[in-house]
Amino acid sequence: MNLTSKPLAVIIFIILFGGISFSTAMGWWATESTKEPVTFTEGEFAGQYNPADIRGSYTFGDVENSFGIPSVILAQAFSIETDNPAAFAVKSLEEIYAASEFEIGTASVRLFVAFYNGLPIDLSTDMYLPENAAVLLKKRTLTPEQITYLEAHTVPNPTASSASDSPEPAPAQETESAPEAVTTPSASTTESSTERLVKGKTTFQEVLDWGVSQEIIEQVMGAPMPNPLTKIKDYCNEKGLEFETIKTALQVEVDKVK
Amino acid sequence: MKIFGKQLFRPRSIWIRRVVQWFFFLFIALISVNHTLVESGGGIPFLSTASLHALCPFGGVVTIYQYATVGTFVQKIHESAFVLMIVGFVLAFLFGPVFCGWVCPLGTVQEWVSKLGKKFFKRKFNHFVPAKLDNILRYLRYVVLAWVVYVTATSGTLIFAEYDPYFALFNFWSSEVAVGGLVILGVTLLLSLFVERPWCKYACPYGAVLGITNLFRVFQIRRVESTCKADGACSIMCPMNIPVDSVKTVRDHQCISCLECTSEAICPVAKTVVFNAGGIK
Ligand code: SF4
Ligand code: SF4
Repeated sequence: MNLTSKPLAVIIFIILFGGISFSTAMGWWATESTKEPVTFTEGEFAGQYNPADIRGSYTFGDVENSFGIPSVILAQAFSIETDNPAAFAVKSLEEIYAASEFEIGTASVRLFVAFYNGLPIDLSTDMYLPENAAVLLKKRTLTPEQITYLEAHTVPNPTASSASDSPEPAPAQETESAPEAVTTPSASTTESSTERLVKGKTTFQEVLDWGVSQEIIEQVMGAPMPNPLTKIKDYCNEKGLEFETIKTALQVEVDKVK
Repeated sequence: MKIFGKQLFRPRSIWIRRVVQWFFFLFIALISVNHTLVESGGGIPFLSTASLHALCPFGGVVTIYQYATVGTFVQKIHESAFVLMIVGFVLAFLFGPVFCGWVCPLGTVQEWVSKLGKKFFKRKFNHFVPAKLDNILRYLRYVVLAWVVYVTATSGTLIFAEYDPYFALFNFWSSEVAVGGLVILGVTLLLSLFVERPWCKYACPYGAVLGITNLFRVFQIRRVESTCKADGACSIMCPMNIPVDSVKTVRDHQCISCLECTSEAICPVAKTVVFNAGGIK
């Protein structure tokens, strides 16, 4: 049997669009994923959703559906100001944090979800979280390993200019609008300088700005002051100093300046 | 055209194929634009908004391994790609790689650029690569196929999207496009000035998969030796440089079922090169 071009053209259309129609009728035609992550197949968490499978196309709402973490919390963790946090697509984070030195994106959400829900996640690669997320996580139960990882992988919250698509909320507003808001205020310089509280994120520069001299700082530390942009807590960890003690002592000095 | 039963004018090419190619090019382009529009809040009503990954039959191929072992799709690949893969196989089993010759917009774009090349280089066009080298290079696409399947299976992500010129062609305006894909697309289009369908011949992993069906497809390109004038027109016309005039049945893994070699197009003798199932009596 010979076939010529015109019948062939018709057959191509019939098979192609017929196949699509048939699969649609059978419910097989899906051009989007179901937004349901795979589950752990073995171990203690078998059957639970695996945060490592969260994809860029998921919205915060999809993450909420699978992992039970409210979209508002996710929005708060990543400083997303929107009326509808559930509709925020995870992949948009990269744009918002484009100015960040370390990548904040889908991997960050996976990390956040895993730590938030106490689920296992591979920590052999570097994933970063903004400060707001770290603050929220520190209120959860974390293992010492997770705490160390978190401290080494926390980056500043986006600045208002870098978050032009979804402008970052002012930390104060954030505290009002979100029910589980951060109780310790964010480390944005202006705010910290008005509050003058020595915290985990405070740098030596901030203490200098509050009027405490380098000499006094060095006295309190009992060691020379490093690069002023170093976080005091990081420096304490590095030198094996007790941060809580140093923090209290420095706070006394800061309060004296007032 | 026939007058008093005599063939006066024979089209030199399969025009309906060009129409079908245009249709799919515009169709895919529109869907892709729509996908971008929808992401930014707009969109054309009644038109699919799917991402191109969802509409690529090759996506179905690369996800087979993961689907069989873990039961999930590779990232960005959805059921629709699986459906299209099956449809593509059905078509190829019956007619060979008609997807390449009639549907694939990347093949179409290469043909458009090649028209310019033909104008510049006349008969030299599509004959720049020395035959020996060409014969070896034609198997390169199987290497690409093996690599794509391997990296996809081991990573679970669509690594090929970073290099895919087809995706780049319809997404060059969006932030989703990868530089690698754009570069490969640019090189492909440039080479199309010298060679017909360079990407299809040497690199396309999906063309490689479909090409295998040339060995056993139901409808084959067959040449009737008794009426053949041996003028070699079919071989000269073949975009894939297949020596149609020296075989009875084309089983070359590179045939794209374009029908340009047949008596409906270039072959001057009626019913001599035909698209046939079941053999010639
Ligand atoms: S070989 Fe690949 S690029 Fe060429 S037409 Fe076929 S699928 Fe398209
Ligand atoms: S052999 Fe004929 S049908 Fe196959 S690619 Fe060449 S011209 Fe097209």
